[in-house]
Amino acid sequence: MRFTQPRPFHRLAPRLGDMRVLCVAEKPSISKAVAGHLSGGSFATYIKNYAFDFDFGQQWGSSSVTMTCVTGHLTNVEFTNEYKNWSHPPPESLFTAPIVKNVHDDKRDIAKNIADQAKYARLLVIWTDCDREGEHIGQEIVDAAKVGNAAIQVKRARFSNVERAHVLAAARRLVELDEKQVNAVSARIELDLRIGYAFTRFITNNLKPLGGPLAELVLSYGSCQFPTLGFVVDRYFRVKNFVPEPFWGISLTHNKEGKQVRFSWARNRLFDRMTAVLLYERCLDAKKAKVTKVQEKPTRKFKPLPLTTVELQKAATRLLRMSGQQAMTVAEGLYNKGFISYPRTETDRFDKGMNLRALVQKQTTDQRWGPFAQGLVNGGFQQPREGRHDDKAHPPIHPIAHVAPSVLSYDEGRLYEYVTRRFLACCSEDAKGMATDIELQFGDEYFSTRGVIVLERNYLDVYVYESWNNTTELPKFTVGEQFEPSEAMMTEGKTSPPNYLTEGDLIALMDANGIGTDATMAEHIQKIQDREYVATIMRGNDTAGGAAGENDEEEANGAPAARGGGRGRGRGGRGRGGGASARGGRASGLKVFVPTQLGVALILGFDRMSFEMSLGKPFLRKEMELQMKAICEGSTTRRAVLEQSIAQYKQVFLQSQEQVGVLKQVSQKAVTFPNVLWQVIIV
Amino acid sequence: MDLIPQLQRAILAHSLPPPSQSFLTTLTTARSPPPPIPSLLATAKARLLASDLTNTSTSAIIDPSAPVFPANIDAATVKETRLAQNTHVQVVDIENLSLSRWEQVEELEAIERGERTRGRQVIRVVAPEDGDNEADTSTTQQTQASRPAAAAAAAAATTTGGANAVHRLVLQDRQGKRVFAVELKRINGIGIIKTHIGEKMLLKAGAVVARGTVLLTPETCTLLGGKIDAWHETWMEGRLARLKESVGADRPR
Repeated sequence: MRFTQPRPFHRLAPRLGDMRVLCVAEKPSISKAVAGHLSGGSFATYIKNYAFDFDFGQQWGSSSVTMTCVTGHLTNVEFTNEYKNWSHPPPESLFTAPIVKNVHDDKRDIAKNIADQAKYARLLVIWTDCDREGEHIGQEIVDAAKVGNAAIQVKRARFSNVERAHVLAAARRLVELDEKQVNAVSARIELDLRIGYAFTRFITNNLKPLGGPLAELVLSYGSCQFPTLGFVVDRYFRVKNFVPEPFWGISLTHNKEGKQVRFSWARNRLFDRMTAVLLYERCLDAKKAKVTKVQEKPTRKFKPLPLTTVELQKAATRLLRMSGQQAMTVAEGLYNKGFISYPRTETDRFDKGMNLRALVQKQTTDQRWGPFAQGLVNGGFQQPREGRHDDKAHPPIHPIAHVAPSVLSYDEGRLYEYVTRRFLACCSEDAKGMATDIELQFGDEYFSTRGVIVLERNYLDVYVYESWNNTTELPKFTVGEQFEPSEAMMTEGKTSPPNYLTEGDLIALMDANGIGTDATMAEHIQKIQDREYVATIMRGNDTAGGAAGENDEEEANGAPAARGGGRGRGRGGRGRGGGASARGGRASGLKVFVPTQLGVALILGFDRMSFEMSLGKPFLRKEMELQMKAICEGSTTRRAVLEQSIAQYKQVFLQSQEQVGVLKQVSQKAVTFPNVLWQVIIV
Repeated sequence: MDLIPQLQRAILAHSLPPPSQSFLTTLTTARSPPPPIPSLLATAKARLLASDLTNTSTSAIIDPSAPVFPANIDAATVKETRLAQNTHVQVVDIENLSLSRWEQVEELEAIERGERTRGRQVIRVVAPEDGDNEADTSTTQQTQASRPAAAAAAAAATTTGGANAVHRLVLQDRQGKRVFAVELKRINGIGIIKTHIGEKMLLKAGAVVARGTVLLTPETCTLLGGKIDAWHETWMEGRLARLKESVGADRPR
């Protein structure tokens, strides 16, 4: 059925026996894209509704379709009017106060449109994004539709990108709305409302009277915001309190065949001079070193894992110098235009059934990586590595269609390039090389060195964000060979403090500690800046190696490390500030987070008064996040989670109230310059 | 009765510190008829390993003629010498020289706050409750008093020392002489907290002493276990303060 004249849709008389279907997406861009694909490009628009015919198969068959959309959540929950006053009834009453669910004022028209359209439809198909929030928005749409047609049937389209074939397949494979996910989100919404309001009022009521600029600021509390702020404050004090210490080591060099080789000590470094001297002396007494091992073996540098949201944000902040939030906005735009898959995903493994070669094929026309993609098509293709995460909803982020840089904005272009290069790297092969390990015994001490020659760059040719270089060539050594080292020296160094957190570090911390979902992390980070709890400064030319930690999976010998393989090494292992970490050059000019007076006061205040369950720590929030997951998995219920979490936070609230003096005391300092960086005042 | 020499042989066969005659007599005559050798040995072992080697009172349980360190063992001017006899010693202090003291301070302070870090993850440490089975019922009721227990448990779990860790111990012989000892080769039984204060070791004849420091290797050093509870507790309690003092963080800056 094609309409040529735009007319108000509800006036169209339904044809007898006509199967009418109402489709609703989460936002206009998706609505338009889906309508475009299902209709084959020929649809008519009425207001924001698209009309066309489509054969859904299954029991519905050929139907006339109206496609429309909402704009995010339709409803919000709020307290009743008796609770609007900030001081009375007292904030703790908000933990149990009645709440009501309303359609947003500015969304009434949208809700009405859905109700109106539902009147003529037998089936409602939900096309919201396939994640927890999307599921909840789906339920809101159902509620709105049932106002117009209580008997309407409901189905959900499961899709993760707006590529044509994928959308068509989703339309013919409709599923049910997942009530568990809906419940999880509504529990989260209720908890955020109660906890957020109670603590925001508590903090504000107590701190505003301290006067000064505090009287003007919004002192909000959020169950994700605070732990996020907590990370910044915690790192800040770790930097500030740091005490450098000297350490000693032994360095050995040998000249052979005109080449100089440096061997490193198996003990790396010792924090005691006397012991180091003692061992050094025994080395010298031994005079000759003996080669105990010469091993030449193939080595590889692993190609990256398929891209998740968290990794995308980390890469965008580190490599493209965008903020996490910017990156998500840009990615969202690329997704809405159908260039990349859904950018909110935890999955780092591609489904075996996906036709990745076809996606690679689409990139062969590109000026920059086209030849590389062509190489993959011509036989270089390798199945990507598989990480351990699967959210069962979306594939890893990957390009859907090729797009010329000229039609993209500067940032879109760069992000698209990253996503595409990463994808092609995933479909390529590990870089290969030959490593030579030489081990020496010198007295009782052991030393070793490693030489690497890169033989095949493979994925590195397209993944320009990583490098792997030949080390200087090693001279030939044989096992049993003895020689007097050209030089054996005692070395001395000093530990240096960790770096302030970069946005990438912060995202990684939030991820590891379950603060926020990958989709909301960037917003929380933005929020604590908006609230003037933290500020960013440019990191100077410090040379400490903290940033190197982000470069997971440098070059590994064992099994491929799964996502975040490098994470566990945060402590100790890598000589922080030791001779080994001289890669700070790249880190210069990076934005880092430092707390303000106010930010420090809030965290210290809560840390000091509620020791067990400080709101500045990630534990409470993490528990809540796990509960959400449990609801989704069906192992607990919304009611049980609400009861438990509310009781927990109320306990903390009462504790905080008892000791509010502590918070006030710390905040007194912040009164004068709340938004000034903490360090500026102390120094 | 040949019970005493029999028991003595059994004790020495286990490399345990040589017992005094009075101790052997007390053990074998405490009950009549005396318990079988294996249970006497077990009792003797427990007592010997928990004793203070330097106790010289009349009730001392260590053989007063057992070998001790040579007089000049701690002479820094001597480049290398070797122990002439098997010598039993007890551990009075231990440090990990591979970690900066500040790193250890940060870890201990985190544990005091009830946290631990695993990679980037911050983990809350919950004290094991007495009722055991109800451990997960109410974490919020955890009292101030139970926290040190949690801290100790957590600390025990974390600081075992890696494959390349180098520890320095202070060892004491029967006469109370104290000497530094360093792991020349890694000995897996040695670690902060893993090694108890008061733990007994046997340094074998031939063990190298360089510049006044005993060089420990698995071949020359046998860990016997044991612990002097009071010492260990005091040592644990004072560890944070000692670490801070040694990096100078105890003074206001």
